[in-house]
Amino acid sequence: MIIPVRCFTCGKVIGSYYEVFKRRVEGGEKPGEVLDSLGLKRYCCRRMLLTHADLIDDIAKFD
Amino acid sequence: MKIKFLELTNTSARFVLSDATPAEANALRRTLLSEIPKLAIDKVEILLGNIRDESGKEYESVTPLFDEIIVHRLAMVPLPTDLSMKFPSECGCKGEGCQSCSVIYTINKKGPGMVYSGDLIPLGDPKFKPVDDLIPIVKINEKQAVLLYATAIMGRAKEHAKWQVAHAVGYKYYPDVKINGEKCTGCTECINSCPKKVFENQDGKVVAKTVDACDLCGACVEACPKGALSVTGSEKDFIFTFETDGSLSAKAALIKALDILSTSFGRVKDTLSMLG
Repeated sequence: MIIPVRCFTCGKVIGSYYEVFKRRVEGGEKPGEVLDSLGLKRYCCRRMLLTHADLIDDIAKFD
Repeated sequence: MKIKFLELTNTSARFVLSDATPAEANALRRTLLSEIPKLAIDKVEILLGNIRDESGKEYESVTPLFDEIIVHRLAMVPLPTDLSMKFPSECGCKGEGCQSCSVIYTINKKGPGMVYSGDLIPLGDPKFKPVDDLIPIVKINEKQAVLLYATAIMGRAKEHAKWQVAHAVGYKYYPDVKINGEKCTGCTECINSCPKKVFENQDGKVVAKTVDACDLCGACVEACPKGALSVTGSEKDFIFTFETDGSLSAKAALIKALDILSTSFGRVKDTLSMLG
């Protein structure tokens, strides 16, 4: 749907990293290296961005 | 109890807690997690119906997400906290809402585009502007708009996670890595086996260089063919780490937690002394 505001496990705010992460990965950088440089060191926070399926645009069509 | 900082940034801290017991370290952990007061959005009024802008263009107040989801997302946004503010139940206004116990925010955004946490505008003191401006809240199209008023109050994480200041709070026993110089042959098996790279080879002798990093996993003890290593944890010293969401600095959160701890211990002591 839309990126969660916080990490489900630890509670760190991760929502604000998503757009930067997406832009940089689409620009050809390795996801792991982007996560490192964003300072997301725990695997709970890293999976929040790595495994996110952004469906908000698909849903917005039906409003 | 003594505290020596290893690392301290605005939102994270790593320190050595010495002269303490495991019970004291755990009390500090639990206090950091659930007792520190913080500001978070608690009530949101969303305007329903059509919204008209200055030029007379009409927008709908519907969005792709349910209002409840938007409200929940707003509640999770970290807001800068002034610890002198009161809980609504303890405030002179008796919970009706006044400047010393609540902050009102508004969002007035017209599509198309993403509504961000930075669109939350505090009515009153601008120091309450959200810490992080770029948290997506909801995406709206060119015919949609969001107009809402949100009230933030002080609370504790015991009641709801939106009032949680510190996360990833944890501690480990301070590692004590001993190398028996007589048994050690300098075979470097321990250097290769250590996942935290604690050991270093100095002129054919193995030394424990970064003891702080040791997780007490014992891989080096198993790997050593001569049995020259021992790894134990001190039960009096702890390496403590935690992070905050930015609503309070790590330093302010720790000071507040220690303050809360000493107040509650003081209360226990007073009650016990009354019993005689």
